[in-house]
Amino acid sequence: MDSGNEDALDIIITNVVATFRTRCHLNLRLIALEGVNVIYKPEVGKVLMKLRKPKITASIWSSGKIICTGATSEDESKVGARRLARTLQKLGFRVRFSDYKVVNVLAVCSMPFSIRLIDFTKKNRPIASYEPELHPAATYRIKQIKATVQVFSTGSITVTGPNVQTVATAVEQIYPLLFECQKPLVPRK
Amino acid sequence: MLRAARSCPQCGSSSVVQDDLYAESQLVCQDCGSVVSEGLLVTDTGAGTADVRYSHSTAVSKVPCRNLIKGLQRVRALCRILRLSYDVEELAEVYFRKAYTHASFIRVTLAKKEALVGCCVLVSCRLRNWPLALGTISGLVETDPALVGGVFKELEKVLDVEVPKSSITDVLEAHSREYKLSSAHVPEELAETSADLAKRAVALVELATDSWIVTGRHPVPVMMAAIFISWQSLRPTKTRLRYSLTKFCRLSHMPPNKTAVQRVGEMREVLCRLGQEIPWLSVGAGGGAGGGAPDDVALHVEDILQHRHALLREALRTHEASQKAEEASQGAEEEEEESRGTEGESRGTEGESRGTEGESPGAQEDRQGTQEETQGNGIQPSTVDPPPRAPGHQPDGTDPPPEPCTLEAVNGDPEEGGVETQGTQEQRPAVHWGKRVLFAPPCARHAKVCRTDASRWAEVNGDEEISDSEIDSYIRRPQEVRDYLQTEQQLLAATEDQEYSGMK
Repeated sequence: MDSGNEDALDIIITNVVATFRTRCHLNLRLIALEGVNVIYKPEVGKVLMKLRKPKITASIWSSGKIICTGATSEDESKVGARRLARTLQKLGFRVRFSDYKVVNVLAVCSMPFSIRLIDFTKKNRPIASYEPELHPAATYRIKQIKATVQVFSTGSITVTGPNVQTVATAVEQIYPLLFECQKPLVPRK
Repeated sequence: MLRAARSCPQCGSSSVVQDDLYAESQLVCQDCGSVVSEGLLVTDTGAGTADVRYSHSTAVSKVPCRNLIKGLQRVRALCRILRLSYDVEELAEVYFRKAYTHASFIRVTLAKKEALVGCCVLVSCRLRNWPLALGTISGLVETDPALVGGVFKELEKVLDVEVPKSSITDVLEAHSREYKLSSAHVPEELAETSADLAKRAVALVELATDSWIVTGRHPVPVMMAAIFISWQSLRPTKTRLRYSLTKFCRLSHMPPNKTAVQRVGEMREVLCRLGQEIPWLSVGAGGGAGGGAPDDVALHVEDILQHRHALLREALRTHEASQKAEEASQGAEEEEEESRGTEGESRGTEGESRGTEGESPGAQEDRQGTQEETQGNGIQPSTVDPPPRAPGHQPDGTDPPPEPCTLEAVNGDPEEGGVETQGTQEQRPAVHWGKRVLFAPPCARHAKVCRTDASRWAEVNGDEEISDSEIDSYIRRPQEVRDYLQTEQQLLAATEDQEYSGMK
């Protein structure tokens, strides 16, 4: 995201959420009994399984649908999901790894300047909304790429989107808008 | 009236007469009294009543939903409580009617409908530039502020209106009236009118906005802090200065606020920084803290606020000048090293044999400071005296320790110029941008710590082989499973025994 700028911005991915199916029914009680790293939640009807490497938490439903969260890249998420499927295989289920899809990516980026949120909201109405009594950040929703950016006054932004490419595009789109609102106010003469 | 058409099935008599029971026509046998036949209960034929619903036939006109009526009454009541003008009230009613019948609000809980009432009032106030805070509304409708916030955002979408944001200075005047500081409530020495308080607090809030204290923060603690500082500074007697914020809240019958204490600290810091620029104060700088300690700043708040624009400009100018001086001294040092670097290259072998004590990771930064020493000692002293070490070398401002560094990196390096320029660029980002500017949001003062270790999984491509060794550690061995089940049964039995003995 250089655009000829020497100081490149670091977009740090903090969470990747992915889902996949095992194409077979899973006995949650058995998983809870034979798994060491599991938490059984019978009231909700799911099991939480945590892997150490990569650091991932998975919600497993008896229908065979599994949601993996906690990875810091798409590839890491895929490795984690496959590891999870292999663990379930070893527990005795006829698992087939299918329909893997990254559903959500959360990334954080830090601008080297503060941002005047009221100006930013005024210039980008109605796409941007800011209510300081509710949340300290201004929310900017980019409908075309289905991304949401939360802009804080300290210059940090959090970007949520369906994949990593969307997140990068969202940062590129929003950077010029933030840059406009960055100059400190000149004291009124 | 006699009718000879029928004969009675019971007795066979032919004297069957029509003996109507009110509107019901009946044929009755005169001899045995049995009812031969009955007619319809209504006299009309029922031509128009075949397929019409009861509710449609009895309804005179469509009656509005009970909750809609109640909601409209609540809207009117809220507007009367807040003493809003008639056009605001009308607008609120229109919006409520429109929103109530929308799909998002027609089948929701009563709490949400109550929140909708408040939000309609809020939207119409904002559109008519009437200052009203979300917190006030959620207090009046007695609903969770988060729910009110969610409903407000949905309402904006449903009504498709651009609701302007309320400015903190507008709400401040209304907020200041809540403080019970008139002479009727508190002793004369501590009393202030809400108008005076509001006026000074508005100036303080404008100053806080310019210095990044307000942006992104909840307005109530900021307003409370501003009113507290203005109360102290309007008559800075010893009694008032000894009051803490918590005590002040108790005095004025306001709920205490922990965040407001932080805001007070931040505002005082800004006032101190500006106070340092006041010419008639810095001459006899009080307290040894260069222009006034934060606690004494209340004495000078009036002056600072009166001339805040000029003081802000001065402060920024001073800050820029000091930054330029820093950069200039850094630049002079770099020129020094370049000139020495060219000298050192010619004596390359001499330097290499000498400098082999391991290079520390921060040696690049230390190098500039210690280079003079080592070169002064080892190689012929240069013609120019080493300049004083620049203060902005390390982020925490401490002097780099005088470690011996490898001279081969300095002397034997053919790309001396490139390394030097790299060194300066590495040094500048070492000081976080939040520290370089005079005013920044307080959270941005320190560089963020990167908690994720992305390099670990950089080589992953997603389709590698999965090894079983780690996975085996996640699965219990059969013996463990048996032990677990046994323990579970024992615990279950133990709890049952306890309950049984407890019941006895």
